[in-house]
Amino acid sequence: MTPLRTLLRVLRTRITARATITVVGVVGVLGVLFLGAALGIQSRDEAKRQGQRLEELMSTVERATQIACFINDTQLAQEVVEGLLGNRIVRDVRIIASDTTVLAAGGAGGQGGDTAVSRDIKSPFDASKSICRIFMVPDQTQIDHLVADASRFLSAALVLQLLGIGLCVILVTVKFVTRPIAGLSRKLGELEAETGQKLDVPRGNHHDEIGRLVLSVNAMIDRLMQSLTEERRLRQLHAMEERRYSLLFDNVEAGIFEIDHQGRLVSANAAFQRLFELESIDRGQQVPMLSERVRGLAVPVPMNSNPRTQLELHLSARGADERWVAISLSWLKEDHLQGVVHDITARKRAAEQAEELATTDPLTGYGNRLGFERELSAASDSGSERAILLVDFDHFKQINDTYGHHVGDEALIEMARRLHRLLGAGDYLARLGGDEFVMLLSSRTHRDALDAMLVSLRKACETPVLTIENTHVYMGVSVGIAVLGRDACEGSRALQLADKAMYAAKRAGRNTWRYYDDT
Amino acid sequence: MRWLRTLLIALLLTLTPALASANLVVVVSADSQVQSLSYDDVVNIFMGRLSTLPGGEPVVPVDYMPLRASFYKALVNRELADINAWWARLVFSGRGSPPRKSEGFDETIELISHNPGVLGYLDKSSVDPRVRVVYEFGGRS
Repeated sequence: MTPLRTLLRVLRTRITARATITVVGVVGVLGVLFLGAALGIQSRDEAKRQGQRLEELMSTVERATQIACFINDTQLAQEVVEGLLGNRIVRDVRIIASDTTVLAAGGAGGQGGDTAVSRDIKSPFDASKSICRIFMVPDQTQIDHLVADASRFLSAALVLQLLGIGLCVILVTVKFVTRPIAGLSRKLGELEAETGQKLDVPRGNHHDEIGRLVLSVNAMIDRLMQSLTEERRLRQLHAMEERRYSLLFDNVEAGIFEIDHQGRLVSANAAFQRLFELESIDRGQQVPMLSERVRGLAVPVPMNSNPRTQLELHLSARGADERWVAISLSWLKEDHLQGVVHDITARKRAAEQAEELATTDPLTGYGNRLGFERELSAASDSGSERAILLVDFDHFKQINDTYGHHVGDEALIEMARRLHRLLGAGDYLARLGGDEFVMLLSSRTHRDALDAMLVSLRKACETPVLTIENTHVYMGVSVGIAVLGRDACEGSRALQLADKAMYAAKRAGRNTWRYYDDT
Repeated sequence: MRWLRTLLIALLLTLTPALASANLVVVVSADSQVQSLSYDDVVNIFMGRLSTLPGGEPVVPVDYMPLRASFYKALVNRELADINAWWARLVFSGRGSPPRKSEGFDETIELISHNPGVLGYLDKSSVDPRVRVVYEFGGRS
């Protein structure tokens, strides 16, 4: 690591270093500025002082110079010059008489007297009369040297001051800031806040910022403790809720499940598993019957417009295990549905039983008028041909009147059985009322087949219906035939046509049949 | 009133030199070539700056002691102590010697009249044909 990076690291990690560098830097810059100003002033002062000294020197030697000039004494003049040159700050001295002869000169020589100080020397006996002039050139290097000496002292003083300030800042920062903070940091590290432990205010910091920092930290620990307690309580509450929900989810009668739009199961409860008779609940598995229905659902747009879809599934084949379920599906999000499954088998069965009761003739056990109308309506909707055979027993009223209703009923039941024996698959028999029966045939609609059937019916009627007190009771039938889908497209119309045909058969002498299209 | 007259005479005697200064004249021998001297010449010669006359002849100044104080007072406006100090300094540094001293009037006038190179001073009233006035105080401008 380079020294610079080390320094940067120290600056980043040590407040003391940063404070010291900053303070010393600022003081240093200010010091350098002040030093510069001071040196400038000093240099000027020193130059002025040296000027004054030169003037004083000249005043000192003025009298001797006066004498030397007055009596043209070059020797004395030279003595004066040498005497002046004995001063370090004097570089050159010249004494020039008023007639421009050089009385005496001395010094290092060099460049002319541009900076020279000069004074007119008057005659000792006549102040108005100038007799010579003395020139003195100050030794600038020597003066600079003096200034430099003084500057060196100032600089040394400044550096010492900087060192002192730096040391003070380090000591003060370490004592009042860094050490208390480091101590707090260490204690904070060791603190077990979850037990509610608190920091102690360092001695002597009770009323200052560090004391307030400790109080703030302690307040924060308090808040932390409160929120920890609160969170713990909420977590317990949540666990309780979860458990409550889980119990509900697992033990509810209804099946609850979540499924994605591809029909893959996401989750389901035990009731769901039971209802769908699944081996296990696996995430992603396809559920028979349910999954294909789910894939067929359109995602509602917007999502919240159609929150619920109702389905009914017939889960297993008719019989003892037959099961119906109702499913209510709600969209959780675009590719997720939640559903509730109810077993509606019992309800379904009850409905079926009610339906059967409503459409069954209680006497014969076959269909009644309502049952027939439903069958007829379904048949006319399907569009396929059906033969409608309207059957009326001949002289039934006489049997009723002769032997009583009970016997009449017996006869009706026997006749109904005979009619039923003629039926093929998909054919329907109903008693419309009284002695009027109707047969709705899909197994045969062509005249040949119908003729053959009706021939066998007439044959069957040759056997007595009842035998009462050794009396054979015979009953003939008159049959009117119309074909739905051929003679008429509408069920009720076809029935009317069959009725007409039936009356035609009766008119023709009973115990016979007539096709509508023959009438 | 005799004491008053005596006092006045004494006062007059005391003031004589001061009063006399206006009547001092610088003289040379009547045989000298020098006709007159400037004020500067007189100062230079008596104060030791020049040892020759403007003509080039050597010159020796003579102090006529009774009038010495008046003369230097008139010449350079200095007291005798200053003049003595001046000469002491010059003598000390080996530069020349002060003017010769002459006490009596006869001795002085003899000295001047017999030596053409001697320059002296007298009261104007005591000037006689043996000497020539070359500079007179009061004519200075």
